[in-house]
Amino acid sequence: MTVLEQTKVPRSAGRRRRSPLGSRWTPYLFLAPAALFIVVFQAIPLAQEIFLSFTRTTLLNPTRSRWVGLDNFVRIFGDEDFHRTLVTTIVYVVVCVVGAVGSGLVVALLLNKGFRGRGVARALITVPWAAPGIAVALIATWMLNAQYGIVNRFLNAVGLGVPGGSILDSPKYALPAVLATTIWQLFPFTSVVLLSALQSVPHDLTEAATMDGAGRWATFRVVTWQVIKPVVGLLALLMTIWSLRRFELIWLMTKGGPVGRTETLVIDLYSNAFESKELGSAAAIGMVGVVISLIVIMGSRFVARAVTKENLR
Amino acid sequence: MRRFRIGLTLRIVAVLVVLGIAAFPLYWMLVTALSSNADLFAERPRLLPDFSHFGVFVDGLAEGKVGGWLLNSLLIAVGTTVLSIGLGIPLGYALSRFSFRGKAVLTVVLLFTQMLPEALMVVPLFSLFRRFNLLDSLAGLILANVAFVLPIVALILKGAIDGLPRELEEAARVDGARPLAVLTRVNVPLIAPSIAATAVISFFHAWNEYVFAVTFIFTPEKQPASVGIANFIGELGTPIQTVMAVAFMFTLPAVAFYLFAQKYVVAGMTAGAVKG
Repeated sequence: MTVLEQTKVPRSAGRRRRSPLGSRWTPYLFLAPAALFIVVFQAIPLAQEIFLSFTRTTLLNPTRSRWVGLDNFVRIFGDEDFHRTLVTTIVYVVVCVVGAVGSGLVVALLLNKGFRGRGVARALITVPWAAPGIAVALIATWMLNAQYGIVNRFLNAVGLGVPGGSILDSPKYALPAVLATTIWQLFPFTSVVLLSALQSVPHDLTEAATMDGAGRWATFRVVTWQVIKPVVGLLALLMTIWSLRRFELIWLMTKGGPVGRTETLVIDLYSNAFESKELGSAAAIGMVGVVISLIVIMGSRFVARAVTKENLR
Repeated sequence: MRRFRIGLTLRIVAVLVVLGIAAFPLYWMLVTALSSNADLFAERPRLLPDFSHFGVFVDGLAEGKVGGWLLNSLLIAVGTTVLSIGLGIPLGYALSRFSFRGKAVLTVVLLFTQMLPEALMVVPLFSLFRRFNLLDSLAGLILANVAFVLPIVALILKGAIDGLPRELEEAARVDGARPLAVLTRVNVPLIAPSIAATAVISFFHAWNEYVFAVTFIFTPEKQPASVGIANFIGELGTPIQTVMAVAFMFTLPAVAFYLFAQKYVVAGMTAGAVKG
């Protein structure tokens, strides 16, 4: 009995010969080094983090943990600040997804028609995506500087200056500023991916639609949108996962402030671990984030399946 | 005809606006680096770079340990790239060409790691590294970075190997080549573009990485540039021109290399993501 016979063989593998690539142990030899690596540096640390979320542990003495069951979860869910963190996280993620995918689509549509210099334009817009997050945080902080930042100078000049001066210290404008910076960094990625999707839209289909008298909007909705829909869905999922994970940009711009207005789950987790030194509640906050990501991924698969079914009907 | 012209003009104006938005912050970094103090704090700020202050870049490199920071970043990035590709190729190959017990689980685990934030893993990795004496070392940092890029590297390479015909391998095997030789001699040269894409992805992941570096490195001489530059934020001792010059030197290689390689990266990332 070979392993090959026991597992489900994909249909396309029918032409494969028996004992195709050496002994039954061959695949394990190939994957062992990487798998070991992932177990040691991802699986075991994650298990440890799950354990920590059920304990009270302080950073000052991290080897001593006291089992407290669900206490950490009960405490954070009863905490008003944590409710605000959840709301901020949701707002941050939703605006990032809509902003990045929406602006990406607009830019991709702009670049989809041929014109002279399109290649150069396409290369140049990827600059924000290629710039390191640290440098982006640094230049954004400088541009938003209360006294000498170019943004404030411009806003003051046109009479729209922020009262008090500092955008990043303003409970009202800090989150929009962080969001704008994030979307600025993300839109090149979404537009380049969407542009390649747009270029896979069959030309004769859009032409046929135009011939049938469909306007631009109708052609877009009936033909183009149908082709790029899966890519839009995939990008939305990617943007959600990335935004739930994003740390350094927010941390370096605001550290979650002012008064917690830019505190997402990851920021809350980090400041719990390294400022309050509460490893247990930090781990619990992290688990909430992991569960949210899992729900989003499962949800997206469910939606994708429903959409496929709808299309087949 | 006339309407067409207007449409085209509008499109070009819109593209120029987008380009301006994309490029302005980095341009502003350069302008700030090259401004004099008088320009910076004047009523009307200078909008064009003044290249007579080019010396700020030289001063920037001399300032503190900037050269050392950039060298550390380079070492970490190269180490991460080499190790993640070295581990990722055989894993991608195993996932693509073999059926084995636990394959489905392994694939799910690889995808699952993509949603774990680094900040979540800082604490357990810290205690792991302390036990194995890997704290405050570039080697430890490389291991942590590899753990985070290896899954995406392996998935992209799996996708690339999926696209290769099996006949080539079979021919080599008939000629008596052993499995490892089949992989290195037949498949690896054919997936070179995808390997390039994964190299770029892992290089930049490590070049830009901040959370692990700021927590695991204590000795200033071992800091990478990301940590050194982040320390400038909110600190008042260093002139802003020097800060911007250093940040620019940190950004430029990343952007230049990315522009050079972007064709591969976008194709590789989308292929990996779609197939995953």
